[in-house]
Amino acid sequence: MDDIRKKAKELLENKTVQVVIGYGKGSGEEARAIFVRDAAKTDQLIFDETCLQNLAVYILKHEVKHLGKIAIVATSSVLRSIMILASEQQLKDGDLVVLGITSDGKYIDLPNFKAIEDYLATLNVSITDKEKELLKMIDAMTMEERWAWWQNEFSKCFKCYACRSACPMCYCPKCTTDSNQPQWIPVASHQLGNMEWHLMRAMHLAGRCINCGECAKACPMDIPLNLLTYKMIDEMNANFGVTVGMKPDAVFALSTFKNEDKENFIR
Amino acid sequence: MARIGVFICHCGENISATVDCAKVAAVASNFPGVAYSVDYKYMCSDPGQRMIIDAIKEKKLDGIVVGSCSPRMHEPTFRRATAEGGLNPFLCEMANLREHCSWVHEKGDVTTAKAIDLVRTLVEKVKRNTPLLPIKVPVTKTALVIGGGVAGIQAALDIANTGHKVVMVERDPSIGGHMSQLSETFPTLDCSQCILTPRMVEVAQHPNITLYTYAEVESLDGFVGNFKVKIRKKAKSINEKDCTGCGLCCTKCPTKKIPSEFEQGLGFRSAIYVPFPQAVPNKPVIDKENCTYYTKGKCRVCEKVCPTKAIRFDQEDEILEIEIGAIVICTGFNILKTSFFPEYGYGVYKDVIDGLQFERLASASGPTLGEIRRPSDGKIPQKIVFIACAGSRDPAKGIEYCSKICCMYTAKHAMLYKHKVHEGKAYIFYMDIRAGGKMYEEFVRRAIVEDEAQYIRGRVSKVYEKNGKLIVVGADTLLGAMPVEIEADMVVLATAGIASEGAESLAQKLHVSYDAYKFFAEAHPKLKPVETNTAGIFLAGACQAPKDIPESVSAASGAAVKVAALFSNDELTRDPMVAFVNRTAPPVFSTCVGCFLCQPVCPYQAIEKEEIKDRQGKTIKTVARINPGLCQGCGTCVALCRNKAIDILGYTNEQVYTEVVALLNEY
Repeated sequence: MDDIRKKAKELLENKTVQVVIGYGKGSGEEARAIFVRDAAKTDQLIFDETCLQNLAVYILKHEVKHLGKIAIVATSSVLRSIMILASEQQLKDGDLVVLGITSDGKYIDLPNFKAIEDYLATLNVSITDKEKELLKMIDAMTMEERWAWWQNEFSKCFKCYACRSACPMCYCPKCTTDSNQPQWIPVASHQLGNMEWHLMRAMHLAGRCINCGECAKACPMDIPLNLLTYKMIDEMNANFGVTVGMKPDAVFALSTFKNEDKENFIR
Repeated sequence: MARIGVFICHCGENISATVDCAKVAAVASNFPGVAYSVDYKYMCSDPGQRMIIDAIKEKKLDGIVVGSCSPRMHEPTFRRATAEGGLNPFLCEMANLREHCSWVHEKGDVTTAKAIDLVRTLVEKVKRNTPLLPIKVPVTKTALVIGGGVAGIQAALDIANTGHKVVMVERDPSIGGHMSQLSETFPTLDCSQCILTPRMVEVAQHPNITLYTYAEVESLDGFVGNFKVKIRKKAKSINEKDCTGCGLCCTKCPTKKIPSEFEQGLGFRSAIYVPFPQAVPNKPVIDKENCTYYTKGKCRVCEKVCPTKAIRFDQEDEILEIEIGAIVICTGFNILKTSFFPEYGYGVYKDVIDGLQFERLASASGPTLGEIRRPSDGKIPQKIVFIACAGSRDPAKGIEYCSKICCMYTAKHAMLYKHKVHEGKAYIFYMDIRAGGKMYEEFVRRAIVEDEAQYIRGRVSKVYEKNGKLIVVGADTLLGAMPVEIEADMVVLATAGIASEGAESLAQKLHVSYDAYKFFAEAHPKLKPVETNTAGIFLAGACQAPKDIPESVSAASGAAVKVAALFSNDELTRDPMVAFVNRTAPPVFSTCVGCFLCQPVCPYQAIEKEEIKDRQGKTIKTVARINPGLCQGCGTCVALCRNKAIDILGYTNEQVYTEVVALLNEY
């Protein structure tokens, strides 16, 4: 951790970056994101097992962007998000300084996208056994049971859009759900509108979600939103052999066609 | 407030028989924004169109809805009338009251109600229509002919003779196709090569034709008038400019026992070879799979003997990129191999052969110099059994269609056999004799009467070998399914005609549709037999379904006229229904985030990058731009875009959404 603080201080002192996004002590038990702009304050940066938030969500936020060049403390989730943002032309190599950190708090020097790609290749990013269990539970349901289960889950939603705000992939300046000409998704939180919103969110993240779980963590009603996106990851893997967020120049599997693609969904 | 005109057509009785057209017009007149509503017997007739033109002027209409047939039928008619009335033609919409309503429902109130719903939907849509201008694109006046069989040759010559350039691509080392393998042709029995080879030579010498043999289409981009094709010229391992075609290399090549494709495995060729003496171009290629130098690294005999030093072992495949305006697919067909038929024992019995093999045996230039001899021992067969419909018309074999050419060529085979072996006896097992065509029935009668071919109506259940003879076990259904057993010296199977190898992947490369049997699909079975559903791509010959020579040639000439008609324009006018990326007020400028996930999804490579710049020329934002010349308005990018930054002119999200809402809600 000291390495990170030292590196952050150095970057701010020599004005390589204007802001360092990292973890700091929160008011409760969990850590929160902090934005260090003063080299003297870099010792506020911490890293422990509560530092789970995917900080990549801030990279494209207008409020953060206008502060200047960014350095970011990057867990594997952050790194994978960066890979997708790069693949989607939102980031170029050198746009930001990445302060890589292992799960046990060791600093890793990742000077460019290539280094990130190589580092990610050494990690096991498959979904966890616990997540597999959850998927199994849902898969075991009949179509009707599954529909009823999700209807029940979504009935709790009151459209605060915290899931959207927490997601590094929801970076559109104008979300389809905010469009009222035409009004694609009803704004009111009723059964139909809730279902439509969550279906749309899941579809828009299909093949892009890296399973950081921020959406579910952000949900004040504890809807297991990430189950939908877990499933997408599973399907992407099974059908296209793709693990998303591993390369800075990945081609979006759902908008490409290869001759060897399985077409078993066409019946 | 909009001033929409609604025109309900009776289509004679086609619509009015089940829909109360007067009521539809009356109800529509009360829709908000409808200024004029009327019904008429034939809206597409001159007086009908006149009603639209006059109403636009007199009632000051600003949008037109015609409730009639499918837009595929009369959209151009009504758009023209709208333009004549002084409105932009794209302010006219059609409600399909015929195919979508009257033809598919019984007469009744609900049918009329549905017609009213359809009209209301389009009234709501047309209120949101905007004037559009047609897009003009240039035409590259060069045609690509894929396949150099008789169809390809005819198409290429016909197009070239209209003064346009043609590029012909042939997979094999020589053009000529299956026709060059045939002995004589029905119903005139003239020599196949004698009539074909002059055409082959003409192709090679025609100033407007560029011929690439031993080449295949690698990929295709673009659209009608503006295709870009990549052609892979496979390495022939010779320098064609230096090669004189003397043939010394072929005679000296030590690897001589390779079954010849041209001879259907009944003869041999060397590793460096010209497929047949009349080949065009008459220059050899090296078959890398069988050449000792390529497989073992030693030999190079051909290089040593070549008087002009034309051998190039290091030659590599070459990719050519050519701009093309239209394409004619003439990739032909193939026939099932006899190995497909376990009951006829191929692979075990050398003397059970297929029709193409018999053609080679009967051909004067064939492996037996035109003498009919058994492949097993070279003896002249005294009895030959021909089995028609081997595979064809047999659902159990997965081929339900009639291969069409077999009846005729089997009759021809029996005749040729009789002409060459006077004491020989030909038996033909058949299901029906299908001899529709000029002089075809007479030809079959001649085989029966003059050449004593014995036709037995029935199927053959089994062929097996016994004491050097082939025992053919069948039934004669005209004699009450009496069992028949014939001791034959040779059996010829008229195996089913099937799609050419690689047809499916070619169809995918060219984005044209194909049927369940992998034959290319025409746009309309009757009225557009040589067109595909992809504009600018045409079909000729047996790549579409089994066809005989006259049919292939006429289709080729037909396709050539279509190409010539296309090339008679310097510019093509296209509907402006293309996608576009939106613009919004600063600081967003466009809701496009520039993720470019839409780029790979576009089948026409129409999506490019555009930089939105400020007054100083500094880039504010990079967004997608859709090239209207390339976009075909398929809408795939619209569906993919997460924040709906892309729309299609004439079918905007808003228009389609309004239509759905109008359909769901009555006023």
